Amino acid sequence: MNLCGYYPESINEGEGLRASIFISGCRHRCKGCFSPVTWNFNYGEPFTLQRQNEIIGDIARNPLLSGISLLGGDPFFSAAEVSEFLDRLYAQAGAVNTWIYTGYTYEELTADPLAAEYALLRRCHVLVDGRFEEALRDTSLRYCGSSNQRLINIPASLASGKVELWEPTVRF
Amino acid sequence: MALLQPTYEANEHLLREMIAVGEDIIDSKDLDLIRENANLNGESFSGKMSKLGSEYAKWYAKHFIMPKSVVRAIEENYVYVHDLDQYAIGTTNCIFIPFDKLLGGGFNTGNGSVRPPNSIMTAMALVAIIFQSQQNAQYGGVSASKIDHDLAPYVAKSFSKYFRKGVFYFEEEDGAEPSDIHMSNFELQLRYPKSFRYALKETEAETLQGAESLIHNLNTMSSRAGGQIPFTSINYGTCTSPEGQMVIDALLTATMQGLGSGETPIFPIQIFKCKQGVNQSPKDPNYALFLKAAECSAKRLYPNFANLDAPLNLQVYDPSDPDSEFATMGCRTRVLSDRFGRNKLSGKGNLSFNTLNLVKLGIEYGTALGKRKKADEQGFYHALDHYLDIALDGLLHRFDIQRRQKAKASDFMMREGVWEGGEQLAPDEPVGDLLKHGSLSLGFIGVAECMKALYGRHHGEDEQVFEKAFRLIAYMRAYCDRKSDELDLNITLFATPAEGLSGKFTKRDRQYYGSLPGITDREYYTNSFHIPVYYEIQAARKIRLEARFHDLCNAGAISYIELNGNARSNPAAFLSIVQYALSQQVSYFSINHPIDRCSACGYEGIIGSVCPSCGSHEEDVHIRRLRRVTGYLTGDFQTRFNSAKQAEVRDRVKHTP
Repeated sequence: MNLCGYYPESINEGEGLRASIFISGCRHRCKGCFSPVTWNFNYGEPFTLQRQNEIIGDIARNPLLSGISLLGGDPFFSAAEVSEFLDRLYAQAGAVNTWIYTGYTYEELTADPLAAEYALLRRCHVLVDGRFEEALRDTSLRYCGSSNQRLINIPASLASGKVELWEPTVRF
Repeated sequence: MALLQPTYEANEHLLREMIAVGEDIIDSKDLDLIRENANLNGESFSGKMSKLGSEYAKWYAKHFIMPKSVVRAIEENYVYVHDLDQYAIGTTNCIFIPFDKLLGGGFNTGNGSVRPPNSIMTAMALVAIIFQSQQNAQYGGVSASKIDHDLAPYVAKSFSKYFRKGVFYFEEEDGAEPSDIHMSNFELQLRYPKSFRYALKETEAETLQGAESLIHNLNTMSSRAGGQIPFTSINYGTCTSPEGQMVIDALLTATMQGLGSGETPIFPIQIFKCKQGVNQSPKDPNYALFLKAAECSAKRLYPNFANLDAPLNLQVYDPSDPDSEFATMGCRTRVLSDRFGRNKLSGKGNLSFNTLNLVKLGIEYGTALGKRKKADEQGFYHALDHYLDIALDGLLHRFDIQRRQKAKASDFMMREGVWEGGEQLAPDEPVGDLLKHGSLSLGFIGVAECMKALYGRHHGEDEQVFEKAFRLIAYMRAYCDRKSDELDLNITLFATPAEGLSGKFTKRDRQYYGSLPGITDREYYTNSFHIPVYYEIQAARKIRLEARFHDLCNAGAISYIELNGNARSNPAAFLSIVQYALSQQVSYFSINHPIDRCSACGYEGIIGSVCPSCGSHEEDVHIRRLRRVTGYLTGDFQTRFNSAKQAEVRDRVKHTP
């Protein structure tokens, strides 16, 4: 698994100040994708255990973070490894709120409860789902790129068995 | 006044100097001279006229008025005397205006007298007039420390007026006692539902309109040469009466709506006063207004946030007196404490300040020049003492000139008692001892470069160096405290808002010492104790490191975080950063984020070279890029900032990508 980007603090990929972690590799190939170079699974640097621990340390030490965001590429193409990273993160940094971005839909990810994708989904809190649709691009949207994409409250959706949308905790 | 050595050569030299000053201004040759102050249009006729006067006044002060040791320290680049053009004539710097007193008793501008207002609309209009009248009696900023408390009575007057109208038109039974007519009287609301509702709605509308007119006035009334508008600041946030809340709400709404075409107002700079139990958690009465202030700040770059709970500010806080609440000039000036007992804001201000070039001292006694392996700390502190003494001598000498000025020289300020006690002076009487309630401040710039020059690393890079930096500023504060006692004056330590100064020391130090990496190789020195803008550091750590200095700087300090990205769309992030800074005892805080405006379509947000809304390119259409310098905003930084500040803005590392 390769890392193709890391911002220790960002306000652009989810509510609050978040550490944003970009995992290389994506096969959705959406037209108009903002960084097609990250489709390549070999792009970026190897996300070694040492690098993971550095980032986990950053997150644990930063009192201002509201959580982390996993993006790519698409982290669901490396679902099992990303799950391992999250387990390590939660063990060392405690309860961290996790947003995850994907080109898959919630329905696709929940189709097989035994799959690695489902296991990863289960570890996260907010899912930004759906492929980027260039025709539906809208720069005024918060935290996503095209209007087909949804911000889904994962625990609530898994509990109720239907898609429950995420609601902001602070509004202006 | 005669020259000390009136030789032919000396006279020739003086004449050449004077001619060069004039030529630089008239031909707009020296852009940095002309853009020394970002709010002055130095390329306009009136700006040039003012500049000519100002440059001659500086020249005159240096050659004929000031102590020689101070002039030498200026010439050798160790000390900077701010607003030198005002030195010889004894003008004072800034003031907090007692609006409650002026509005409540009426006032005279010198050209005509004004009755106390009977509505919030008129009161807001008079606030602008008072700001403008006072501005002409001094050279620095004018501030309202508690505008919500000051204006609340006029909201009440408007409400009462509308309520009586309502009773008449709706023919509800007349009989309410005048003292019963107020917005929080629930019984009145039950007995006169129509009149009450009407009065409330009309008062709300009038307050908003008043706030709009105030903001428009303060952005349009050029009252100084060079198209400068008064440097106005308004502080608010703690008045919990429904009238006061209405004032705060209206000011925020009007600010968010912006000026005529929706653009961000530059003045008044606004400061929201944060206090636990008043506006910091959801159960607090003004919490909703704090949220609204954060929203406004995410949209317009201000309000900035003043921390009433910081230890320095809590010392004199008296919950029953809003004038004891910490407030500031937009630039960061703090004049709250007074050794003569006026531990409140209105009616006094800062008198003047001088800034020390810490970097030069660092270079001379540090390792940067390669002359020694270890910093000569003893030499450094010895020299520091020497230049602190000289800078203080300059302040005291100037204070003596200020004290000797007649009351009529700062006519409005004294006659109307804007400076407390001034109203008791005869026009020809010197202001004398009245000024002792103000502060004389010693400032500093470039702690980061100073540390780099002394030890090879700055205070953001190394914990031991941080402790050295902290010790240095604590040492300077102790000096100020000691001198306050010895001289029985308010001598305070200032984290200088270096705007004109930011590049001046640097330019000359570079000429002298060459380009030293991390020290003189940029166009500016880092502001006060700030971690350098180009240094990559996480927001929380920057806040924690800088917070420790706030408590030392009793003449004022500010800290910033730079956000990249649209702050408007992530309220949670914005709020958490502000509240974290407050929790770390930062006294005065703000978040910088880019606000660009496309002049073709009016889109506001982050604009690269191409407007995301209409597709115009910056080469074809002017993109106005608003940035903050000293605490104030300026217009477009690319046309108004001097080169040093432009370079600083370009170098700023965003604490979030």
